[in-house]
Amino acid sequence: MLDVGSFHAHTCSGVTRRSFLRLGASVPVAMGLGGIEQTLAAETQRAKSVLFVFLWGAPSHLDTCDPKPDAPAEYRGPFCSINTRTPGVHFTELLPKLAQRSDKYTLIRSHKTTAPGHPDAGTVALTGFEEKPEPVQPNFGSIVARHRGQSGYLPSFFSIARGTVMDGARRIEGYGGGTLGSSFDPFLVGASERGAVEIPALRLMDGLVPGRVNDRRALLKQLDIVPRTLENARFSEWHRAYQAAYDLLLDPRARNAFDLTREKATTRQRYGQSVFGQSALLARRLVEARVPYIQLNYSRHVEAITPGFEFGWDTHIYNFDLLQDLHCPILDRAFSALLDDLDERGLLEDTLVVCMGEFGRTPKINARAARDHWPPCYFSMWSGAGITPGRVIGESDRLGEHPLSDPITPKMVGTTIAELAGINTQARAEMNVLDGGSVIEGLI
Amino acid sequence: MHHARPHWPAGGVTPAPQTNRHRTRLAVVFAAMLLAVWSSTQSLPAGEPRRLTNDGRIKFTPVFLDADTLAYVDFEKPELTVIKRIKLSDGVVTPLHAKADTQELEPAFFAGGNRCVYLRARGTLSVSMVIRDETNGSRIEVPPENGFCGFRCPTFSRDGKRVVFSYAAGGFQDLYSVNSGSGKDRRQLTKNSGINNWPDFSPDGRQIIFGSTRHGNFELYMMRADGSDVRRLTDNPFQDLRPRFSPDGRQIAFTSTRDGNHEIYVMQADGSRVRRITGHSERDDYAAWHPDGKRLAIVSERNGSHDLYLLDVSSEARPTAAETTP
Repeated sequence: MLDVGSFHAHTCSGVTRRSFLRLGASVPVAMGLGGIEQTLAAETQRAKSVLFVFLWGAPSHLDTCDPKPDAPAEYRGPFCSINTRTPGVHFTELLPKLAQRSDKYTLIRSHKTTAPGHPDAGTVALTGFEEKPEPVQPNFGSIVARHRGQSGYLPSFFSIARGTVMDGARRIEGYGGGTLGSSFDPFLVGASERGAVEIPALRLMDGLVPGRVNDRRALLKQLDIVPRTLENARFSEWHRAYQAAYDLLLDPRARNAFDLTREKATTRQRYGQSVFGQSALLARRLVEARVPYIQLNYSRHVEAITPGFEFGWDTHIYNFDLLQDLHCPILDRAFSALLDDLDERGLLEDTLVVCMGEFGRTPKINARAARDHWPPCYFSMWSGAGITPGRVIGESDRLGEHPLSDPITPKMVGTTIAELAGINTQARAEMNVLDGGSVIEGLI
Repeated sequence: MHHARPHWPAGGVTPAPQTNRHRTRLAVVFAAMLLAVWSSTQSLPAGEPRRLTNDGRIKFTPVFLDADTLAYVDFEKPELTVIKRIKLSDGVVTPLHAKADTQELEPAFFAGGNRCVYLRARGTLSVSMVIRDETNGSRIEVPPENGFCGFRCPTFSRDGKRVVFSYAAGGFQDLYSVNSGSGKDRRQLTKNSGINNWPDFSPDGRQIIFGSTRHGNFELYMMRADGSDVRRLTDNPFQDLRPRFSPDGRQIAFTSTRDGNHEIYVMQADGSRVRRITGHSERDDYAAWHPDGKRLAIVSERNGSHDLYLLDVSSEARPTAAETTP
């Protein structure tokens, strides 16, 4: 176990085949190390950093940002609506802090996606395209990472979670580089509710003592004992991830970026003592370090109340309880703190913040007095990077079942992110990504 | 319908409407407002709380086993909730089930903790109800139906013969009971009327108080133990949640969002004389009566951390200006 300041990671002194195989299924690769392209002129990059807050599992739009208080009882749910700072716009009572900050972001209530299940919808949400037909398209973050290259000491694309985002035992295909290659997979880093930062790629390294973090040769010697039979593609993938993680550890600037104890206690408290809260604080530090793209995942898993899995937003049962008692208080506090913090530090001007799930949830309450998946209508929040805040784009119908206006697709989300990050039509065409995408009208 | 209210209010009282007709009335209103503002600045008007835990992790549903032992659910890891016990006398915390390897939630006890009923995650979005003899470890696990399904909020009847719980089917979530010795003989107590949750028996075992959305949002209701004679106790546009009878049955503690965020309230068992016990901009929730009837254990969020607190709500405590009719 390694502990450098608050940085906290598991490393190993004995690589076993079993532990290696366990790791191999979950370890992300690393950073945008190859295929570096020149960045576009600075003036076209309204967003130096993009922070994509992924509400994995999909929150109910009716119970959060798109309440339908006049809908029949079997639709509207038990929560009352409250004013936001935007005249005429209401949230449910579960998000009072975000309601008070509606002048910091633009709300979109007319999203629509195609995939009904988490794995595919997750890929669509992160890439703009379905898994099939192959090949899987790159994550928006991989596109930004490829375009920017690696100019700093940190990877260009981070995914903040305690492992690769999963649906059950299945990794989301759109998590990484796709057609751009695994070199543009995200670098994974997680945080505990107390702010201890963990790099999953080093989880294999159990037993490494702090003094050995600088002894690279010793570590590599440990790796040499890995059976040759494991030296396949997966080993190469893992080894690259490990090396990248290890290189990061050697750089004090990187350790500094991960060190949440450098924050004032009041700042850490603002975000709340939760995994998502401290992860959001870590995301802000990565924005400060000018990482081009950060995917901040609410949870690693989608499932709510499932053995061995983190609590996600997939509330087929206990929807109203989980939203009121767990998810919404955590999100309301942490995301509000994140917006305030970025704003106070002047980072919101050139940072794009997008917050959304992969779809909505059934407006009609299901047989288990909860809500199921609902791809035809959901919401997002956009802030920073010159976006005029305090507006609502799009509108859902009386029951929250369908957008009343032209729907906003995940591909439009990706294209808009790319444009704001300075990746224009020509650059996208050269990468052969986001083909046919258009920006969200009225947003930029 | 839309209900506007102040956000993170300094007080819990909406100023009364003023009139120019009667000076006296104006003066009374003004005095009431002053009292309201004063009372709202008192973080815990019923007395200074005693902090029981310091880890700050998210916690749920405290419940006393006896005068010195408080059980609660600790969000120990992002993927694991654990039922724990804390001794008030020495602060020592121990897990109830040392070998628990999956999420356990919402414990309730009988006979000083010799029997426990709780929820257990058993598969993907599948939550069973377990009735366990804590003296020898024997248990009955009542599985939910196939698919995504689960029980909620089980509790023992006062004689220990039945377990009442909440269960969703057909778009509604109703209250049922089963034989606590077999987990069978299921009887439905409420019928197809919104979401019904948090049942709690009166000390004499004749009444059950619970929350229900049958009229829109969560309000508190009382009914006989057989499900008959349902009476509504609260009526406001916001949430009234998690009612608990006091040990003498004369009062009910509950959580409400009526003043802007989750606060603890106490009212008479007939729904009258509602008074706010907590007043903080962060969340206070999950009230559990101490067996002495003078104190409540609650989960409070302070500076983003969640811990257990014990506060005095004895009758000597001054009623606040938030005291109202329901």
